[in-house]
Amino acid sequence: MVFKKSVQKFSGKINEVVIGTGEKAIKLGGENAMPFYDFDGNLGERPKVGMEILDIFPDNWIEPLKEMYKDVADDTAKWAQFVEENFNPDFICLRFEGADPNGLDKSVEECADIAKEVAESIELPLVIAGTNNHEKDAKLFEKIAETLDGYNVLLLSAVEENYKSVGAAGGLAYNHKVGAESSVDINLAKQLNILLTQLGVKPEDMVMNVGCAAVGYGFEYVASTMDRIRLAACGQNDKTLQLPIITPVSFETWTVKESIASENEMPEWGNQEDRGIAMEVSTASSVLASGANAVILRHPTSVETINMFIKELLS
Amino acid sequence: MEKFMIIGERIHCISPTIRKALAERNPEPILKRAKEQIEAGADYLDLNIGPAEKDGEEIMTWAVELLQKEFDNIPLALDTVNKKAIEAGIKVYNRAKGKPIINSADAGDRIEMIDLAAANDAMVIALCSKQGIPRDNDERMAYCTELLERAMTLGLEPTDVLFDPLFLVIKGMQDKQTEVLEAISMMKEMGLKTTGGLSNVSNGAPKEIRPVLDSAVVAMAMQSGLTSAIVNPCDTRLMETIKACDIVKGSVLYADSFLDL
Repeated sequence: MVFKKSVQKFSGKINEVVIGTGEKAIKLGGENAMPFYDFDGNLGERPKVGMEILDIFPDNWIEPLKEMYKDVADDTAKWAQFVEENFNPDFICLRFEGADPNGLDKSVEECADIAKEVAESIELPLVIAGTNNHEKDAKLFEKIAETLDGYNVLLLSAVEENYKSVGAAGGLAYNHKVGAESSVDINLAKQLNILLTQLGVKPEDMVMNVGCAAVGYGFEYVASTMDRIRLAACGQNDKTLQLPIITPVSFETWTVKESIASENEMPEWGNQEDRGIAMEVSTASSVLASGANAVILRHPTSVETINMFIKELLS
Repeated sequence: MEKFMIIGERIHCISPTIRKALAERNPEPILKRAKEQIEAGADYLDLNIGPAEKDGEEIMTWAVELLQKEFDNIPLALDTVNKKAIEAGIKVYNRAKGKPIINSADAGDRIEMIDLAAANDAMVIALCSKQGIPRDNDERMAYCTELLERAMTLGLEPTDVLFDPLFLVIKGMQDKQTEVLEAISMMKEMGLKTTGGLSNVSNGAPKEIRPVLDSAVVAMAMQSGLTSAIVNPCDTRLMETIKACDIVKGSVLYADSFLDL
């Protein structure tokens, strides 16, 4: 008897979402199969890899990265250009750490000016990440959506507490993309998408950040959440979940002890930079295998490694 | 598990408004009822043009094109005993959103509707009866098997046949209700898809009671394995029950706003 390979066909397909403008604009999504399962269906767009920069000097980053960026990191636009020229990621994620009310608490106007300078100095698509303070982020994203009108950036993100302001500014008043963020909670992920849609934001203007954790820090729950979201989106044809997923991996992996403990503290753990990269690469490859359409990374070596991982799996 | 499929029953020539609109080729009343049902959550619309012996082909062609053009190729169940009319409807039918369903075949005079489905790559509702109501489940399942065998011999996929156990009126046939549910369970065991005219169960009951009975029966039938039903999607209580059952069965992922979808 001839072997007949069984194929799992799905009725649902992930929306295609474009971020940025011009030649360097990127498209996320489009798949109707589980991640990298090209024997089952169409994988849509290649998963995208972006790099994180900050609006302030990265005092909390590891020494080798500070050393690498020391001549550019005081000027965010220069930093962005440096990243674009030297590492050519798919997109740049500008994170407004300096706007945090518990930190420098920069004004939204000041932040918007920085965002504008950055947008004007690069061709890569821009993802704007906030402070995690929902009130401040609502104001920050409103201002930035206005200032960056026409750049088609992704605002990361709208959460349950501020989705109305962020959704209205990013998805309705100005034509940007809105990230819907939930913390590893599949029902809330769906609910937030419904709420944003009910507000009037079009599904093709939305992506999801369904939450993340560094590997070893409850990651199993992240993986199963992503799996179940993808299976509902493709298998049950659940329109409310057919959104590309973006995962800010570096936001998680560079805060865990494996990445921040110095070699003096933990001599038996070996080189600190290598550990940080290892945490970032393991987490990024795992979320990509679980269904993420884009990841945000910090270390250039991680970017290179993950790009190779994607290329090899897709070839 | 797939979500429960809702076939909207309200475009039916038993309604004087619809009968008149079909006869006069007046789009408005038909489009109005179609819109209401789609907005209420219908997956398929049943299009019943009656026996239409005289101008069935013309009416079916007109109505299929009318509905699919207006509502983004909404999938339809073509409901008439006139085979020529069904063929004419399938000819102009757009399959982008789903195959046409032929409503319906039975194990008696209308068994050739199975052949028609096979010849046209359509789905078909197969009523598990011959003449009148099956005596018991032995008889019901014998018809079910007969219809399945015919469909498979002609090359239809078993999932292209929606088996109708024949829902019976509670007021008068109360003792038969659990039997129908058991028949659904048996069909589920065989891996078959099922459907039926659910509102039969509440025929003759007071208007305010009917949604209660329909909802209870649909919940119990869904647990037994019913995969779709021909219903009035504008019945809020019924639709809320179906949506909640889909959640409980895990066919739809829960979110607080699930009733809004």
